Amino acid sequence: MENIIKALNLNLIKDDRYMYIVDGLKNTMVITIFATLLGIFLGLIVALVRTTYDNTKKLKVLNAICNLYITVIRGTPVVIQLMILFFCIFTSRDVSGVMIAIIGFGINSGAYVAEVFRSGLMSIDHGQMEAGRSLGLSYLDTMKYIIIPQAFKVVLPTLGNEFIVLIKETSVAGYVAVQDLTKGGDIIRSRTYDAWTPLLIVAGIYLLLTCIFSALVKKLEISLRKNEKRG
Amino acid sequence: MEKLLVIKNLCKSFGDHDVLKNITMDINKGDVLCLVGPSGGGKSTFLRSLNLLETPSSGNIYFEGIDITDPKTNIDLVRKKIGMVFQHFNLFPHLTILENMTLAPIKVLNESKDSAVKRAKELLNRVGLIDKIDTYPNMLSGGQKQRVAIVRSLMMNPDVMLFDEPTSALDPEMVGEVLDVMKELAREKMTMVVVTHEMGFAREVANRVAFLDDGVLAYENSPDAFFKNPDNERLRNFLSKVL
Repeated sequence: MENIIKALNLNLIKDDRYMYIVDGLKNTMVITIFATLLGIFLGLIVALVRTTYDNTKKLKVLNAICNLYITVIRGTPVVIQLMILFFCIFTSRDVSGVMIAIIGFGINSGAYVAEVFRSGLMSIDHGQMEAGRSLGLSYLDTMKYIIIPQAFKVVLPTLGNEFIVLIKETSVAGYVAVQDLTKGGDIIRSRTYDAWTPLLIVAGIYLLLTCIFSALVKKLEISLRKNEKRG
Repeated sequence: MEKLLVIKNLCKSFGDHDVLKNITMDINKGDVLCLVGPSGGGKSTFLRSLNLLETPSSGNIYFEGIDITDPKTNIDLVRKKIGMVFQHFNLFPHLTILENMTLAPIKVLNESKDSAVKRAKELLNRVGLIDKIDTYPNMLSGGQKQRVAIVRSLMMNPDVMLFDEPTSALDPEMVGEVLDVMKELAREKMTMVVVTHEMGFAREVANRVAFLDDGVLAYENSPDAFFKNPDNERLRNFLSKVL
C-alpha cells in the first residue's frame, strides 16, 4: 500500500506531473471529437457520391476519386498517413501537431464512415426517394430532407462506435509530436523511470473513456428504438 | 377536349424483356382512366413512365405540350404538377402527418408555412384525419396512411393524379375509405389515371377503361362497353377470372 502511494506521488504529484496526463487527455479528446466531425463530413460526402453513382450512374469521375480514397486510406496504416501529413505535406511549422492529427484522423475516419453512411443510405426504402421526387423535390432536396435524416438515425449507433474506436486510435498521435494521453504517460515514464504506474494510469483512463461512451451509445440506441416504435 | 397527356409509341424494356410495346394514347383533362390487366402486363410501368419514375426506352410523352422524355426538360418542374399515390403509401416516417404534407409545398412551391399549414388542415378535415395531424405515419392504419398520401399529393395542386394500385396493400375493410376519397376527387373533375384491380371502382367512376396485356394496350372503351361485351378475347378471358 505504501509503495502504491509512493509510486502515485512520484508519478503524479511531484513536479505537478499529473498535468502531463490532464493536458494529454485534453488533446486526445480534442483530436477525437474534431476528427470524428471531419470524418462524418467527409464520409457523408463520399457516401452521397457513391450512392448517387450507384443509383443514377452520374458523377463517374468523382465516384472514381472516392473509391481511390477509400482504397488508399483503408489499405495503409493510419500512423503512416499521419507521418506523411506531418513530415511531407505540412512541413512548415505554423500548423500545430494537434491540427495535423485532427486532419489525419479525420481523413482516415472518413473512409470508414463513408461505408457506414452508404449502408445507411441504402437501407432506406427506394419508395422514399420516389415519393420525394414525385412531389417535385430535386434529388438533392430529397436526400437532404427525406433520405439522410432517416439514414442518420440508422447509423447513429455505429457512428458512436467509430468515435470510441478513434479515442484509442489517436494514441499513435505521439508519432507526430502531439502530446496526447499516451505521450503524456510516456513523458512521465521518462522522468521517473517507473514503467508500470504511468502506463496503467493511461490504460485505465482509456478504459474508463470507452466504457462511458459505450454506455452512452447503448442508451442512444435504446431511445432510438423506442422512437421507432412510436413512429 | 383539352389533351393533358399525349403518349406516342412508348416502349420500355428491362434488359431484353419488353415491358411496354409501342403504346400510343391521349389522356384528356377531366378523364378518369382506369388501367386494368394481368400482373406483369405493364400497367405500373406505364403509369410510372408518365412522371418518368421509369425512363422510357423509346417514344415520347407530352405533358401539357412539353415533351417530358426530352433530356433537356426539367423533370422536377413537371412532377410538381403530377401527383402520385403509391401502393405502399411511401409516407415519410420521420415526419409528422402535417410535415409530410407541408414539406414539398414549402420547399418546391415556396409557399409560406402558415399558408401550407392552413391548406393541410383543410385537406385533413376533408378526409377526416384532422385529429392525426401531429402524429407519425406509423400510428396510422393502412387506409389512413393512403388517405394522407392522397392529400399530401393534393397539396401540390396537381393537374393530374396517378394512382399505382392504391388499395392493393390494404386490408379489405379499409379499401372503401380510400376509394371514397378517390370518388370525391373524380366528382371534382380531377384528371386521374388509376392502375387498379377494383373493377367496381373502374365501372362506377371511370369514363375510360384500358386493358394492358403483355405490354400492349390491347383494348380501351367506356366502362359500360368494356365490362359488358368487349370485343377482345383476352379481355373476356381476364374479366371472367376477376369478376
